[in-house]
Amino acid sequence: MKKIFAVYLLLLTLVLSACIFDSDETVMAGWLSDQGIPGGYSVQTLSVENLTPLSSEVFLDSAPSLANDRAVLGKAANISHDLVFDIAFYDSVFFADLKKSDSATAYMALYVLSPFYSSKSYPSDSLPLKEDLTLNISWKLDKGASKSFVDSIGDISDSLWLSSLSKWKADSSVDTTVSISVSAKDSVMKISLPSALLTAMKKLSRACHLQLRLSAPEAVRTYRFYGAGTSQYPKLWVSFPKEKSYSEYDPFRMAHIVSNKESCSDCLVLHGGVYDSLVVEYEGAPIMKALSDFYGDEFPYMADDGDDVRQTVVLAQMTFARDDSQGTSELGLPIQVVVGSYTDSAGKSVRQMEAYKLNKSLIASKGHPNMVFYEGDSLTLQVTYGLRDFINRARDGRTFKMMMRLGYPVLQPKDSSYSDHVTSKKDTSYVFFSHFDHARYDFSSAMKQPSTLKLWLANKRGDK
Amino acid sequence: MKKIILVLFALAVCSFASVIGLDALGEEQVAGGMASTAGRGYAGGAKTGDAEGLSVLNPARNAFDTKVVFNVNFLIEMVSLENHGDNFGVNNITMPSFNLSFPMGGFGAMGLSLWQSYASNLNEEVSNGKNSLETTIEYQSSVYEIVPSYTFRLPVIRNFSVGASAHVVMGNSMRKISMGPNTEGLSSEDTWAVSNAEISDYVDGTWEIKNHPAYYTAALQYRGHQSSFYFSYTTPHTLLNELDYNFRMSELDTLAPTKRSREIDVPAMLAAGMNFRFMKRNNVMFDIAARGWDKDIENIGGSFNMESVTETQKDMLLALGFQRDGSPMFYDPYLDRVTYRLGGWYKTWYVKDVYELGGSLGAGFPLGRKGTTLDLSFQGGKRFADSGRGWDEIFLGFRIGLMGVGNWGQTR
Repeated sequence: MKKIFAVYLLLLTLVLSACIFDSDETVMAGWLSDQGIPGGYSVQTLSVENLTPLSSEVFLDSAPSLANDRAVLGKAANISHDLVFDIAFYDSVFFADLKKSDSATAYMALYVLSPFYSSKSYPSDSLPLKEDLTLNISWKLDKGASKSFVDSIGDISDSLWLSSLSKWKADSSVDTTVSISVSAKDSVMKISLPSALLTAMKKLSRACHLQLRLSAPEAVRTYRFYGAGTSQYPKLWVSFPKEKSYSEYDPFRMAHIVSNKESCSDCLVLHGGVYDSLVVEYEGAPIMKALSDFYGDEFPYMADDGDDVRQTVVLAQMTFARDDSQGTSELGLPIQVVVGSYTDSAGKSVRQMEAYKLNKSLIASKGHPNMVFYEGDSLTLQVTYGLRDFINRARDGRTFKMMMRLGYPVLQPKDSSYSDHVTSKKDTSYVFFSHFDHARYDFSSAMKQPSTLKLWLANKRGDK
Repeated sequence: MKKIILVLFALAVCSFASVIGLDALGEEQVAGGMASTAGRGYAGGAKTGDAEGLSVLNPARNAFDTKVVFNVNFLIEMVSLENHGDNFGVNNITMPSFNLSFPMGGFGAMGLSLWQSYASNLNEEVSNGKNSLETTIEYQSSVYEIVPSYTFRLPVIRNFSVGASAHVVMGNSMRKISMGPNTEGLSSEDTWAVSNAEISDYVDGTWEIKNHPAYYTAALQYRGHQSSFYFSYTTPHTLLNELDYNFRMSELDTLAPTKRSREIDVPAMLAAGMNFRFMKRNNVMFDIAARGWDKDIENIGGSFNMESVTETQKDMLLALGFQRDGSPMFYDPYLDRVTYRLGGWYKTWYVKDVYELGGSLGAGFPLGRKGTTLDLSFQGGKRFADSGRGWDEIFLGFRIGLMGVGNWGQTR
């Protein structure tokens, strides 16, 4: 009991002494100040004018990609979009019927992407679309007989299949013209398949693997459809008019293949809706000189056994000249420019997508500064991660490299939330249009003009 | 025991100690920070006996022990910083040491300690009227030593023993100062870019001894019928603190740090002490330890207007203590079995113009009949920082030590 009492007495003593030793934050701030620790880091801005790229280059990833969700066919902005359907047949009755029939016909039914065509953002005067579309239809047909053959088709992984499409070598191909009519949001585009394909299939008896490719390199626009993974998947119909019967087959996957039809190989053109990018590289010396003039210190930092942490970049933005007349767009909406930088990761250069900090007052008055096809004559992109990394490691003579590409069309260019959100009235406010604009934007002239880098620099140097 | 742990746990939420020398080495845990020694004002390095345990300054002491002793210590310290009438308090809990000594009869005695010899500990948040972000300052630096020791009584003159210990240094150091921007230098149209942009000045590193695995202490002990003496010498050594400096927005930043090593030349230390026993169980004791710092200590520094060096002075401890040993007889009244301690000390810190004056009161409460003791000590005093940027400190410390005595390896 005495021990318990002693422990409680001890606790009481300590609690009372804790009251005596109370903390006063104002006093503590004074102590921090005496130790040379400020209440906040000093921050200054620095503008580096007249930067011109050391190099600039566009890249287009033309590797086939899956189109199981949304599919695109046609040509826009000097990019052609092909579709490939992967279909497996295992139906001896069908092949027997096909062999007997001399009037069988086949066609693909593609369901247009109604949320896109029915959107208020899609130009209303564009519908109905009635035109003749010149198509190239090519195919590869592999004969099989057993269920294991069909199963083996499904066993081919998507990546392997996509990879095989890069070396597409058709068994046969036919050029044809089909009449297109897209008049309402639930339109079906019917594409007749050549009789040569059915003739080839008549030679089969039980199973086959059909890879069917549609190309429309002469098209004046792109057409958007639901993909094989949606509820409105495309269908291959084979009709037997005399027998008044038909068979329906579904592609179990689809691929999208783009190819660049730009005639100017030196132009710095970005396209919407495809995986392309513009990579711009800047020499480090002008930035180092500006920093050196600003701080009066040596840049790049060569002292000590390490890299530069005397200051850090809180925010950095590059401003380019912009001339929208050098581009075309389908929808007439502003389009965001997405930006990334090349930063170091364990000794390797990796591309890191940049964060975007909102300058709300500027956005409210003039709109987001990172858009093309919008009022104004400049494009401002934030490259904070890149500049932070670049200044930190500049001692090795590295360059500053950034990447940009076209993002989604912007429905509310002056909305500072910059993401779709629910309003106080519980409505969804869409800031972005959720379909890419197959636009084309030429940055060639912009990259020839000097750009400006603005840095917000946090500094931990002491007073000199 | 449960209640003691609960008390410790409750106090662990508040957290400590001196902020003098934070950027240099921090606060020294004198004499291993043992609760029993602290209770008598850090005096008593020369006092022998099974209830004393291992001494990091006098490795020759436990040559006279007959029992295995395990000892663990806790420290709770509250400090009030004062300057021109202003004051604020910080507090902390730490475990400065634990020790094990193992007598081997005619083969001498071995010991092993883990000692937090220097520590910088601080974790505080300060509101700043200039922006919405608080300034957070955090120090977590510990120079830990693993100290194996060996001692034996001399063959002919059995009242004398010699001992030696090796101090293997290790530990980590970390300093983090997080703050928001001071936008006074920005135009109003530029402030959006730094809103809520907290940045941390972050330094971390490790401690070791340069070019050597350890530094060493050698000691000579005399145990007389009434008087005991010891003398010890600790070798000079160079502490190496390899540091990475960063200035970052978050822990996910992949910025490469600036690497820097600081070397701290720790001079040799001489220590001596005596203990005089009178009226059977009463002891008076006096200890002195001195280390002649002759070079400035390079600070972690590196940021803002923090000082780059800490100027040093001769570091000296003068300690005077009294102890009334508890009765070893279990059937004696409990209060007669309790050990009572009293002491005071004067210490000049290694930091220039910093002096400490303290007093303490302690007691050792026997638990059960097997020799386990709970040592408690209260300490109070003042540190005077007469120059530089240091503030005076009034401190109140509470130490708890648990001492277990056993007969492992002994035959009757």
